[in-house]
Amino acid sequence: MSAEGSELERTLGFVEAMTLGGGTMIGAGIFILPGIAAETAGPASSVSYAIAGFVALLAALSLSELATGMPIAGGSYHYVNRALGGLFGAIVGWGMWTGLMFASAFYMIGFGQYLVEPIPFLDGRVFIVGLGLVGLVLLLGVNYYGTEESSAFQNVTIGVETAIILVFVAVGVFFIDPGNLEPFAPFGPGGVVATTGIVFISFLGFEIIATVAGEIKNPGRIIPLSMILSVVLVTILYVLVMLVSTGVIPFESLGDSPIPVSDVAVTYLGPAGVVAIVFAAIIAAISSSNSSILAASRVIYAMGRDGVVTDWFNVSHPRFYTPHRAIAATGGLTAVLILVGLEVETIIALLAEAASFSFLVAYSLVHVSLVVFRRADPDGYDPSFALPRPLYPAVPILGVVLSLLVVSQMATVVVVIGSGIVAFGVVWYATYTRGRVVSEGLLSEAIRGRPAEPFRVVVPVSNPATQRGLLRLAAASAHANEDRGTPELVAVNVTPVAHPSPLQNVEADRFEHQRDLLNNAHDIAAEMDVTLRTRTVVAADVGEAILDVLEEEAADEVILGWDGTLGRDGHVFGATVDPVVRSARCDVSLVNLRNETVGTPVALVAPGHNAPVVAHQAAEFATVDGTVPTLLNVQSPRGRNDSNAKERGRSVVVDAAEAAGLAPDEYDIEVVVADDIGRAIVEATSQYDTVCVGLSGRTEGSRIPFGTVTERVVHDVPSNVALIRGS
Amino acid sequence: MTHIGELRILVPVDVSGMESPPLDVLDHLGAVEVVLLGYFPVPDQAEPALLRDQYGPKATDRLDAVADEHGDPDEVLVFTHDREATIDRIADEYDCDAVLTAGRSTVVDRVLVPLRGDVNLDRILAVVADLLLAGNETATLFHSVAEDADPTQGELLLMGAVDRLVEYGVDRDRVDWRLSEGGDPQTDIVELGAEYDLVVLGETEPSLRERIIGDVLSAIVDALEVPALIVRDVE
Repeated sequence: MSAEGSELERTLGFVEAMTLGGGTMIGAGIFILPGIAAETAGPASSVSYAIAGFVALLAALSLSELATGMPIAGGSYHYVNRALGGLFGAIVGWGMWTGLMFASAFYMIGFGQYLVEPIPFLDGRVFIVGLGLVGLVLLLGVNYYGTEESSAFQNVTIGVETAIILVFVAVGVFFIDPGNLEPFAPFGPGGVVATTGIVFISFLGFEIIATVAGEIKNPGRIIPLSMILSVVLVTILYVLVMLVSTGVIPFESLGDSPIPVSDVAVTYLGPAGVVAIVFAAIIAAISSSNSSILAASRVIYAMGRDGVVTDWFNVSHPRFYTPHRAIAATGGLTAVLILVGLEVETIIALLAEAASFSFLVAYSLVHVSLVVFRRADPDGYDPSFALPRPLYPAVPILGVVLSLLVVSQMATVVVVIGSGIVAFGVVWYATYTRGRVVSEGLLSEAIRGRPAEPFRVVVPVSNPATQRGLLRLAAASAHANEDRGTPELVAVNVTPVAHPSPLQNVEADRFEHQRDLLNNAHDIAAEMDVTLRTRTVVAADVGEAILDVLEEEAADEVILGWDGTLGRDGHVFGATVDPVVRSARCDVSLVNLRNETVGTPVALVAPGHNAPVVAHQAAEFATVDGTVPTLLNVQSPRGRNDSNAKERGRSVVVDAAEAAGLAPDEYDIEVVVADDIGRAIVEATSQYDTVCVGLSGRTEGSRIPFGTVTERVVHDVPSNVALIRGS
Repeated sequence: MTHIGELRILVPVDVSGMESPPLDVLDHLGAVEVVLLGYFPVPDQAEPALLRDQYGPKATDRLDAVADEHGDPDEVLVFTHDREATIDRIADEYDCDAVLTAGRSTVVDRVLVPLRGDVNLDRILAVVADLLLAGNETATLFHSVAEDADPTQGELLLMGAVDRLVEYGVDRDRVDWRLSEGGDPQTDIVELGAEYDLVVLGETEPSLRERIIGDVLSAIVDALEVPALIVRDVE
């Protein structure tokens, strides 16, 4: 038995997600930024951290819903790309990638500062930058050659640094001099908001949870829990650290220090405290930077997967299996950013703000994407964590407003750099992405809203050779029933998986297939002017899955492709088709496409409840090529001189056409009188491009009755054959 | 859960390398159901979907090749950051009784079954019974008692276990037992294992990370040259 496709393992549990998210947040930001924060906001910088934490919490809420709805790699970039299309996808993708590099460079320069400052004879920028570069190279090496089982080490380091910060806070509280906290906000509210923009970088960690959403176990629970919890806990910790820092040392002298936390610690924890803080700061910088590099490579992978950038990046190393090109590119640019630190005095604040800018823009678009997803409600988007009523739409609206407010208070140079990155995304989309990928996004659907009372035709497609033909027929059918509701086409692709389980990640698999499907289906939908939706389903049994879709969609009609063989392996039409023909509660058309053209369809009309359905179906198919269907009836002569045979045939056809709601000018009548009905039918129908035949009688129980006439048509007529079964 | 005659074992195979593992032992186990798990280890820094995009077909081919050599069993292919978690999940999903680790054995005549105590004993014996009923091996049950402990306890355990196997329908001639009073079961098992073709071990109690193979056990498995069949301990 051969392996049917491959699976991805979901291996990250709650603890892993927390250490990934919280671990990236706790640390680097808090060790490096308090000096700058105190300089620009005074003791009120604790409020800046609180605001930044709140903005991050809003983003975490929106992201949680999106990530549980689509748990695959890519994070914010992926959701924006799907919701708003390739243009915004490119903006956010490039923004996140560069933002993560800014963050990495920021952490590594901070790392150099903490190492250099305590040693008196090793002063100077060259050393700081040099150490930062050495640290970066080590990290890149680890990422390039790949490590396994590093998560245990990660957990230990994060535990240690958290413990050190907790001691710092717990002891520091007793050394706060209330005089230092006066005046609380020397630079007013403007300074507080401006500082929020600088320190926002401290809260990037939760985004990393979203970029690895595809690997998280039980995503519906763990993603929102770990994102929200990590943001809340880290915010509380940061506010406390800031209160202690500004309370122990006057904010003016704190502002002058590149290693603020260590300067605070020396006043009440002594040299041992300083050593501990320096140690914590170094491992914090390394783990945060490592996470950023990791996330950056995921973002590039997702962009390559969706065709926003070349998939040259998406090649893994032949021996180490790491995404070495993405890592090398990320590392190279990060090194350049660190080197800029040689010339630019305020590099730390600049890098922090630039990273914050990119992510604030990304989060605004994430909030918009959430609204778009809710409005358009695409198939497959069924988040297990959905924001409850008062939070939606409050969270996305507040999220956009606050993000933009913070951005507006940023330094001019940062706004210029950030806007430059956005502009680059726009230019990139215009020159590279557009024309290569079909990614319209859901925006137009979201604005239009959902049509009422559609007439739905479901088409399962899997074979690239026939999907075009099937989609054309389905579109014609949907279109022909406009009077019964807005025509809507639902193209379904079922991926068979032997043992579907929530633990395995098959989501990403669907992409390739779905893209072909989208391309084809969109063309036809545009040609035939019908609304189109696509669905992809993963299931063990294709037939059962199609039946489920028919139920969910309340389908009016299903058009199935069939290879034209009968009675194989104990099935009538095949293992997939049989259950649908047997149990579907809507009209079923089983189509075997043998020619390119649909041309003039002929319907075989015999008295019976199926005749109107068959006649109507032929009329629907006729609209593909704009022809008039022929309704054919064959009569056997009763006796030698039966002149009424033609008349009898005509009346059968007219009755059926009337029941089908066809006007007299919408069909042609042909009546054949012959002794050998079977042969006559084969001869008569062979003149037409497409033959519509009813499945004789009702399907009862598990049997599918199949007449001999039908069988002859299937075997002997070279035209397209459609077997029709009414609901 | 003593279903005699339906032994199903999971055989994990690393499909990232070119070499296929020595699995000759599979052809000598008699009528035993096999689930072949091909796993592709993904380093922490890589996105599993990326590796699947790139190496999926190659990995499938390798797995198919291994399956073709050994009677075309069920196949599963997984890209994973965590091999142990995958083995555990697939073993669970396919309801496997034991996991086979690769090792060199071209024949399977003699099976060593170290018993630690009552832990997991029922399942281990059920698997051994299934194994013996499916093939023609002989089994040696083994127990190592601590130096200052009463050896009769160990004897009692082993004799009771032999009786259980006989109750399952195994011919008494095919089962014997050995008691060691050395007090170092780990070394004993590794040394003794060299004389056998297959070692059946019981999974240690789930460790903190619920791994299928605990530290002591994996040390033994690593040191053994012959294949080991690790009986799962599921509640």
